Amino acid sequence: MSEPLLEIRDLTVRFGGITALDHVSIDVAPGEIVGLLGPNGAGKTTLFNSISGFQKPDEGRIVLEGQDIQTLLPYERVAAGLGRTFQHVKLFTNLTVRENLLVAQHRHLSSGSLSAMLRLRAWRQDEAEALARAERMLDLIDLRAWEAAYPQALSYGTTRFLELASVLSLNPKVLLLDEPASGIQQKEVEALGPLLRRIRDDSGCSIVLIEHDMSLLLSVSERVYALDFGRVIAEGSPDEITEDPQVLSSYLGRTRRTHATA
Amino acid sequence: MTQQAVEVMKPLELPAVVRRRLTGAELAGLAGLGAIALLPIPFGSFGFFVGQFALIYAILGLSVVVVTGYAGLVSLMTYSFAGIGAMVTGIAMASWGWPFWLALPLAAAATIPVSVIVGVTSVRLKGLYLAIATLTFADALGETFFKWDRATGGLSGWVVSRPHPFRSDASYYVLLLVVAMGLVWMVTGLRSSRVGRAMLAVRTNEREAQALGINVYKTKLTAFLISGALGGIGGSFLALLLKQVTRSAFQSPLVEATSILLVTVVVIGGIDRPLGAFLGAVALVVQQQVFQGARFFFAYFGIYSAALLVLFLLYRPGGLMQVVRLQWRLIQTRPRVGIISTALIIGLNVGLAWLFVRLS
Repeated sequence: MSEPLLEIRDLTVRFGGITALDHVSIDVAPGEIVGLLGPNGAGKTTLFNSISGFQKPDEGRIVLEGQDIQTLLPYERVAAGLGRTFQHVKLFTNLTVRENLLVAQHRHLSSGSLSAMLRLRAWRQDEAEALARAERMLDLIDLRAWEAAYPQALSYGTTRFLELASVLSLNPKVLLLDEPASGIQQKEVEALGPLLRRIRDDSGCSIVLIEHDMSLLLSVSERVYALDFGRVIAEGSPDEITEDPQVLSSYLGRTRRTHATA
Repeated sequence: MTQQAVEVMKPLELPAVVRRRLTGAELAGLAGLGAIALLPIPFGSFGFFVGQFALIYAILGLSVVVVTGYAGLVSLMTYSFAGIGAMVTGIAMASWGWPFWLALPLAAAATIPVSVIVGVTSVRLKGLYLAIATLTFADALGETFFKWDRATGGLSGWVVSRPHPFRSDASYYVLLLVVAMGLVWMVTGLRSSRVGRAMLAVRTNEREAQALGINVYKTKLTAFLISGALGGIGGSFLALLLKQVTRSAFQSPLVEATSILLVTVVVIGGIDRPLGAFLGAVALVVQQQVFQGARFFFAYFGIYSAALLVLFLLYRPGGLMQVVRLQWRLIQTRPRVGIISTALIIGLNVGLAWLFVRLS
């Protein structure tokens, strides 16, 4: 494997007495689609929160393109090239679909408040760029007809696509997707796999995917990490993972030890 | 869907910025605003005085629109910013002999230190706790800055006079009208910009905003800085309106009461719409004047504005701006019903006001 784009070493997160992540090490190569597998409470979302800066890890290192991003705030990690979605889509309910996508163009713009209030040239250029970018995303997710609607009017599945379009607007180098298929129709789930590959092919970004839809995860991922109780229990190609005895027992479920779910 | 994904990463072609023409709704809106602006004329000097007050409230309302309507930070110290602006204008003009047009920017700039302190606080404190903190700041300013003789001119305050072509009531009214509308235009521009959208995003979902690369800290600070400057500007014009500013208005409990009233103004107008601040200010100040003649004025006005606040929050959370929008849509879809109901709403309000003034 070439030099990893995202390198996670011995990441440990403890919540009081519970160890949510226990010396987790993960590598993501440029342009690679990596799946994260594991039962509820395995620490997948905690891992995402740590990478994107919403959760401060107790130990370990997070390196993006050779730069340690540990000390960066979440919005600074976006500038460094990280983009993430959340397990429960919230979006901005006070903004229309179009405005939601305009907000997502924030990092590509630079004009200040004064130039907006005085309608200066810098503001006009920024608005034209934001609009062009947002409209391209509207076309991508086929939401032109709904651009003036508020997200509450959309189906849950559609808000997932809107969130995906928002995070794609960041032009991330690494895209962290937390259960993108949950709550969306089967037909859309089937479209999601090719869409993710297409996004990767077009933008060259790496994708790390948390997904409970096994067929989607296994079909789209090139490499899979299996987590349980905060530890990486297996790593390999989708085929190898499905045959790993530890994965079979912990995820595909035979005897399950009782534990708290996160 | 997947077909279109191909186009995501193509180089971006920027469309030329087109100047668009005014729509019918905007023309109707402008006509309505014009009618409201002419309202004081039949009442002469008294009308202009009330109108000036409404416009000051509109400017201060804009301060609330930015910080509370856009950024979602409940600030109950807007009138303290106005007080700083008024006092700085007073000391610059009366004590240092500055012309008003130099005192005005100084008044706006003088709010910066307080805005920074509150802005930093707002990163840590949320919702109700921030509201309480701003009340405390207002109180603290009332006990310190607004008790400082050097800055406030002692108990008698500062006497200031209006700059030359704006001495008369009518001309000062026109000046305020131009300034208020200019600021409405500016704050409207802010809404559709990088910074304004960041504020609206932070208001709803801080976490998501951060995940989209927005610096929440800077955004909140900016909101308070703009809000403070608008408050300072409003206070500066208030000083000229009153011609004599005294500090008691900016001390507890008057200052808090006025700041809360300003939030009411903006909620009634439409909390995140700059034009709403104007409509809300007109509505509330006119109401205030209608009730002025009544006995137990404070009781009446307090009850009325509180009831209005609750009714709007329950049934028209978008404020008067929402009412205007709904009526306009009704006029378009069902012209007869729309026009009759709009006329009824206006007629009922004007009629009740007239009746009340006559009876009291």
